[in-house]
Amino acid sequence: MGLMNREYRKYIEEEIAGKSLDKSQKPEDIKGRLFGFVVFAVLVFSVLLGRLWFMQVMQGESYQKQADSNRRRIIPIDAPRGYIYDRNHKVLVSNRPGLAISVMPTIAQVNKGVIDRLAVLTGMTTKEINDKLSATNADPLKPRVIKRDVDKKIVAYISEHQADFPGVDLTVETIREYPLGNLSAHVVGYLGEISNDELKAKKSDGYDMGDVVGKTGVEKAYEWALRGTKGSQQVEVNAAGRPLRVLKNITPNPGHDLILTIDIGIQEAAEKALANGIAEAKAGRFKKANAGAVVVMDPTNGEVVALASYPTYDPNLFLGGISSKNWETLTNPSSGYPLNDRAIMAAYPSGSTFKVITGIGALADGLTTASRTINCTGTWTGFGAEWAKSCWLKSGHGNVDFISAVAQSCDSYFYQLGYEFEKKGGERLQYWARVFGIGKQTGIDLPSEATGRVPDKKWKKEFNKDFPEYQTWVPGDTVNMAIGQGDLLLTPLQLAMDYSAVANGGTIYKPHTVRSVVNSDGKVVYDNKPVVTQKLPVSQEAIATMKEGLKQVVANGTAAGLFSGFPMPVAGKTGTAEVQGKDDFAWFAGYAPADNPKYVAVCVIEQGGHGGSAAGPVVRSVLAKALNVQEQGMVKAEDASR
Amino acid sequence: MIDFQKISRYVDFPLIASVIGLIVYGSMVVYSATAKDVPGDPFFSLNRQLVWVALGIVLAMIVVVLDYNRLRNWIVPLYIAIAAVLLLVMFTGASELGAQRWIDIGAFRFQPSEFAKIIIVITLAGQLSLYKGDLSNPKNTLLAFAHVGLPLFLIYKQPDLGTALCILAITLGIIFAAGIPLRQFMVILFIGMAVVLVVFNFHLLKDYQMKRLIVFLDPDVDPLGSGYNLLQSKIAVGSGMFMGKGFMSGTQTNLRFLPMRSTDFIFAVVGEEFGFAGALALIGLYATMIIRGIRVAALSKNLFGTLLAAGIVSMWVFQILINIGMTTGIMPITGIPLPFISLGGSALMTNLLGVGILLNIYARRFV
Repeated sequence: MGLMNREYRKYIEEEIAGKSLDKSQKPEDIKGRLFGFVVFAVLVFSVLLGRLWFMQVMQGESYQKQADSNRRRIIPIDAPRGYIYDRNHKVLVSNRPGLAISVMPTIAQVNKGVIDRLAVLTGMTTKEINDKLSATNADPLKPRVIKRDVDKKIVAYISEHQADFPGVDLTVETIREYPLGNLSAHVVGYLGEISNDELKAKKSDGYDMGDVVGKTGVEKAYEWALRGTKGSQQVEVNAAGRPLRVLKNITPNPGHDLILTIDIGIQEAAEKALANGIAEAKAGRFKKANAGAVVVMDPTNGEVVALASYPTYDPNLFLGGISSKNWETLTNPSSGYPLNDRAIMAAYPSGSTFKVITGIGALADGLTTASRTINCTGTWTGFGAEWAKSCWLKSGHGNVDFISAVAQSCDSYFYQLGYEFEKKGGERLQYWARVFGIGKQTGIDLPSEATGRVPDKKWKKEFNKDFPEYQTWVPGDTVNMAIGQGDLLLTPLQLAMDYSAVANGGTIYKPHTVRSVVNSDGKVVYDNKPVVTQKLPVSQEAIATMKEGLKQVVANGTAAGLFSGFPMPVAGKTGTAEVQGKDDFAWFAGYAPADNPKYVAVCVIEQGGHGGSAAGPVVRSVLAKALNVQEQGMVKAEDASR
Repeated sequence: MIDFQKISRYVDFPLIASVIGLIVYGSMVVYSATAKDVPGDPFFSLNRQLVWVALGIVLAMIVVVLDYNRLRNWIVPLYIAIAAVLLLVMFTGASELGAQRWIDIGAFRFQPSEFAKIIIVITLAGQLSLYKGDLSNPKNTLLAFAHVGLPLFLIYKQPDLGTALCILAITLGIIFAAGIPLRQFMVILFIGMAVVLVVFNFHLLKDYQMKRLIVFLDPDVDPLGSGYNLLQSKIAVGSGMFMGKGFMSGTQTNLRFLPMRSTDFIFAVVGEEFGFAGALALIGLYATMIIRGIRVAALSKNLFGTLLAAGIVSMWVFQILINIGMTTGIMPITGIPLPFISLGGSALMTNLLGVGILLNIYARRFV
């Protein structure tokens, strides 16, 4: 650069000594230039202050809000769900505390490795976790629950290694507990995370993604009562999402408790007897017997005392979210669909149990009387000899009046009644089926109830719309329907409701499983009073006649011997429904004591064979338990009727 | 009796007062920003900063004692030394955040590019004072740019875009004060803008530099990525409102939403905790310091002193503008510390050296 020559040094020395007139070497306009510096500096400071005034004074409140939403997090606190008790206040479902892992998506996704570590720890795949975190239908700035009811070891690990898990929180929530295991699983139902559709429908009720709701049973039907009101905790969090202190606390209101109409003792007996009955049928000639249902009702008010469905399932599997493997096992076709409550969701052909409806209808319509006799030769030839139909007793019942026709389940007698219904016209038999509530839901307080089916002209045409040759209703259809064969379908609950109406003298009550809803102070907030759906439009005499017939079934009819040794008279009816391609479905519907009915019990066993031999003993066991009758195991009974 | 009147002829008290004010203010803010960084030792960062303050004051006093004109004897060794150190950083320096900017000496970490700023002020002022203010010949201007070109390039390559731009600002300030014809000055500014356009269009910036610049234009593009820093910084400043949230009470700062809160984004802490009032006070201190610095430039007995003062003032004004500007979202994010406030020893030493030189020129302004 050549700046270090001697001349330069000399010049510097002169300046230091103050000898040079260096001041004159400044540019002429130096004052102006330095004034330019001042102007520039003032401009800079003005711009900055202007910007600050705009941000801090004019827009300050909006930034203030953003700062608050940065640091405040509202953590919802789930309300403890209400307990569920049986009619005697025995606990069926309670709660226990459980820990859930929730993750703040924005934080965990930014910090590498957090999700991988969580995957290793929880045994989930990173994809499963990421799917939960990136679900688009929830607020991206809210934490998501990725696993519930987590093992204590995992919880301990996360608490000890908080630094490795930014954005990961552990929250306490209440988990359902079933002190009696899977008893009454179908009535109680199970819980699960709210689905997208449910969320859409219930958003206005304060539900959020990840909430746990009742999916079946009374857990679903009484969700409104059980859930309670969520509380919340407003906490201050740091940038890593870790809560530092509580700013505000709103305690949750616990859900209401349910008092069921179920008597857990009778329920247990029903479930055991049903399982035994199916096992017995299987051990005998009916290898395909694998499913069934039992309904026990109080005929005086519509209360369901027991409701069993086989096969059953363990509601514990649903705690903390059911694994996909377990779900697959429970819904696989080979599983026998244990989640389905066959007592209300399955519509079965009724077999001869329907003769009660045919009979009462015929008496009411004046087609027959208690004393009218018909000669059963084993064959009924009302349509001519070439269209002869046979009674289940090939040798014939001889001369039978109405009561013994019911007692013996004589098909010839009921063929004749069906024939007379057909001649009368106006689909009167269908009318009576509908009067008894078949073809529509009973209105029980449980979800997913089936309606059953009353076949008629219109239905047949519609049902066979691709098969024109089967579209016409023929008289034989009515005749078949009269003995309970053919296309009529009903649920075990509908049958129990109908037999209750017979037992109580003609009143159809709406069945229900919850007696009352009680708040945490023990006050009843909702009471299920008996609701009359229908007063049967029949005379007391007609019902009394039918009741006598049902009593005779047990005394000396198709179920003779079934209740031998039982300390009180029992009334009932066997049924054996023929199903194409399958073994017969066994039915028994009855009530006891016959003269002052306290309990109605209905049992169906799919492909279990004859009603009196397969389903009858189950009903006997259940009625014995309900009425405190000491029994030595299940009876064996013979029945060849249908 | 001490005769203050007499002493004040030689000592620029308002300048000293404003600098002390800034250091005290800065210490408070650094403490607030770092108190929770080292568990159990809230003073960890502040203590280190105060060591630098002490060292810087000692260095400034040494500079005051020696006649600043003697610096001109040292401009070549200084220039060679800083170029060598910058080369050394390039090949052996410690890297952090994708850039090689530091040199470790014992327990201390130096950032040579910070010292480069004050050294360029000295060497450039020395060179231009030799031309006796005559920059009407473009050759002299070109020589001045050739002079700064090498260190500028080395710093830009580290990469430290902010400091490189700061050195450009210093250069512009000094040649303006040295009397460059205004038309020439305009041409240079025009060329500068053209260069910026070229840099943009030919992607001469690193990806992260591009990103920061784009984010500056629209921070909402990517609120959790590159825009996060700026967004949090703006929230911090804005939410301070007029009076601020109070010392140690800024939620953005104390809950760590604000990134780089003790260094590049420290102004956001000022804005959040002390509000507009606090920012006004800070800018008031800066204004005092800058005006006194320009006054020193005007009073200097020779051109060298004028140019030194002009360079130092340019350095500060540029840094204040860019730093506060980027924190409030009106300037691109380029990683420039706020003078006397940001945590960082190299910058503090550099700035105190600058103060020392200004006081020196002031004390020796009499012919």
